[in-house]
Amino acid sequence: MALRELSSLEKYLGLKKPNKYSTQGDKKVPVLQNNNGPPLVGLGTIASHLVKEAKRPNLLGDSAESRAVVQQWLEYRVTKLDGCTKEDTKAILKDLNLYLQDKVYMAGNQFTLADTFMYFGIHPIIVDLSVQEKEQYVNVARWFDHIQRCPGVRHHLPPLVVLRNRIYTSKHH
Amino acid sequence: MTKDEVQGAMEEDQAQSKKGLKKQQKEAEKAVKKAEKQAKLAADQQGSEEDDFAKDRYGVPPMVQSQQKLDRVLVRVEDLSPEKADQLIWLRARVHTSRAKGKQCFLVLRQQQFNVQALVAVGDRASKQMVKFAANITKESIVDVEASVRKVEQKIESCTQQDVELHIERIFVISQSEARLPLQLEDAVRPDGEGEEEGRATVNQDTKLDNRVIDLRTTTSQAIFRLQSGVCKLFRDTLTNKGFVEIQTPKIISAASEGGANVFTVSYFKTSAYLAQSPQLYKQMCICADFDKVFCVGPVFRAEDSNTHRHLTEFVGLDIEMAFSYHYHEVIDSITDTMVQIFKGLRDNFQTEILTVNKQYPSEPFKFLEPTLRLEYTEALAMLHQAGVEMGDEEDLSTPNEKLLGRLVKEKYDTDFYVLDKYPLAVRPFYTMPDPNNAKYSNSYDMFMRGEEILSGAQRVHDAQLLTERAMHHQIDLEKIKSYIDSFRYGAPPTWRRRHWPGESVHAVPRPPQHSSDLHVPT
Repeated sequence: MALRELSSLEKYLGLKKPNKYSTQGDKKVPVLQNNNGPPLVGLGTIASHLVKEAKRPNLLGDSAESRAVVQQWLEYRVTKLDGCTKEDTKAILKDLNLYLQDKVYMAGNQFTLADTFMYFGIHPIIVDLSVQEKEQYVNVARWFDHIQRCPGVRHHLPPLVVLRNRIYTSKHH
Repeated sequence: MTKDEVQGAMEEDQAQSKKGLKKQQKEAEKAVKKAEKQAKLAADQQGSEEDDFAKDRYGVPPMVQSQQKLDRVLVRVEDLSPEKADQLIWLRARVHTSRAKGKQCFLVLRQQQFNVQALVAVGDRASKQMVKFAANITKESIVDVEASVRKVEQKIESCTQQDVELHIERIFVISQSEARLPLQLEDAVRPDGEGEEEGRATVNQDTKLDNRVIDLRTTTSQAIFRLQSGVCKLFRDTLTNKGFVEIQTPKIISAASEGGANVFTVSYFKTSAYLAQSPQLYKQMCICADFDKVFCVGPVFRAEDSNTHRHLTEFVGLDIEMAFSYHYHEVIDSITDTMVQIFKGLRDNFQTEILTVNKQYPSEPFKFLEPTLRLEYTEALAMLHQAGVEMGDEEDLSTPNEKLLGRLVKEKYDTDFYVLDKYPLAVRPFYTMPDPNNAKYSNSYDMFMRGEEILSGAQRVHDAQLLTERAMHHQIDLEKIKSYIDSFRYGAPPTWRRRHWPGESVHAVPRPPQHSSDLHVPT
């Protein structure tokens, strides 16, 4: 799963030569063998490295604050989102919905790695939501639809339908 | 005493006599006090008998045994309005609540859906004892009240008659209720949400159904049954005006009409018979007998094991059957027009009832279009695909998809009522007429209200040969339906049939199957 994400990221970044990854441990943490130094371990680490390689540092955030936020969400993705249980998803969606109330992107005012990897990570949850639930977490749905339509992001994942208009308007049904 | 003791032995004699004196004095005082008290009590008693000048204006009269014919007009609570201000009227109602407050007693008197505030105050018309009597009348007792109608400055929010109150001159208890009621009517009409929020009681369904007589007295129940009555009346009136004839069909029949799966068997003398699952066969016989247009209102019995508000073992079915000239849409138009007349009739003549029900079960006003919206199945499929639902072209709609489709249609066309036409042939019964232009589809349809299917209809195959072919295609034993096929051999007009689910209303009330034999409430 993580490997497919990394190869999608490579395609997005326009890196010509795809890298060879291996995994370690039960959780299949991705590992990148580096010619120059020690191997890079971990989704966030490798992603940051790839971004630097592709000379697109703005994807990691353009200010110190947004850089910190990007790293925060990368870590959130790996620790909280991957392998979360059914009960956790409701809490996660609620938190995200609140966080995204007044933000277009996860970090700062532009598209960053945080958006990419949160999108990859949350896709399996959104796939299972009903139309009514997507309306309930309206900010998450709005952000999700925005990111999945960004050119070049959505390589290995199918597009999900997010309705533009609310159909569950009255509170009585 | 102590002082005497301190004074010493020398004055013992003196002390003795002083003690004695004091004791005597004390006893004398006690006696005086007792005498006073007794005198007061006697005076009080005399006083209470004397002071009850209103003795004949309240009480429990002898049981009504048709002793006399009173020429008295009893006014209805719903007619109490400022127009009647200062009139002295009689009325009979139930005591909904009674509350004493010092020299006054406030009562709420209830009659079916309506209630009004009434008051007994100590004054020249009412005595203290009368007010006390009024305060002690048990809830749900039936009382006869003579009162003057008074306009009020501030609207009484908690009653239906908000502009007036009654000032009671006479009050008699005609039928007393036991002090402890199995459920409180105020709790029974409380909306579920409000109950949870404010920590107040609501009555759960089992309690309501075990004490159905009291539960039916609530304003909500009264309104619901009036709406149900209204639906049946509008159905009958509209169809009669269109030239339909009402028929009553047999309910004890010799063979299961819709397939043996969910039919009730009854013992019929030495053999058995079945309770009719629908009036289908008889309606069609009427058409073949040149009745042209018939309808039928009556019970339908289905041994449905499911526990939802749409699966009742016994419900009232509103069935229509009519012959048409050239196209089955003639029938759809006739039916949708009937439905629209029913909606309009309820909207225009039953607003009071609808609002009463809404207090306990809030809902939005029911929306419909004129002419009624008719969608084709293919369009519905497209809408569902657009919303991310994966469904095959010839697949039937599942209940969740029906509900979602209802929402999408509401959002796109702003209507709660629509017709879905041209269902796939594969999912309809063998006697459904195929679409002449596309063999995958059929001349059949369903109608939906707020995303729930309330009606299913189709053009029936009226040609014996085609019927046989379709039956064989569905692998049905031809022997079992021989008489049905035969009925078409003697010139059968093209017919349409539709079965309508239990009376529609503008809200939903849950009904568990095991209690449905009792009474039923519209869904």
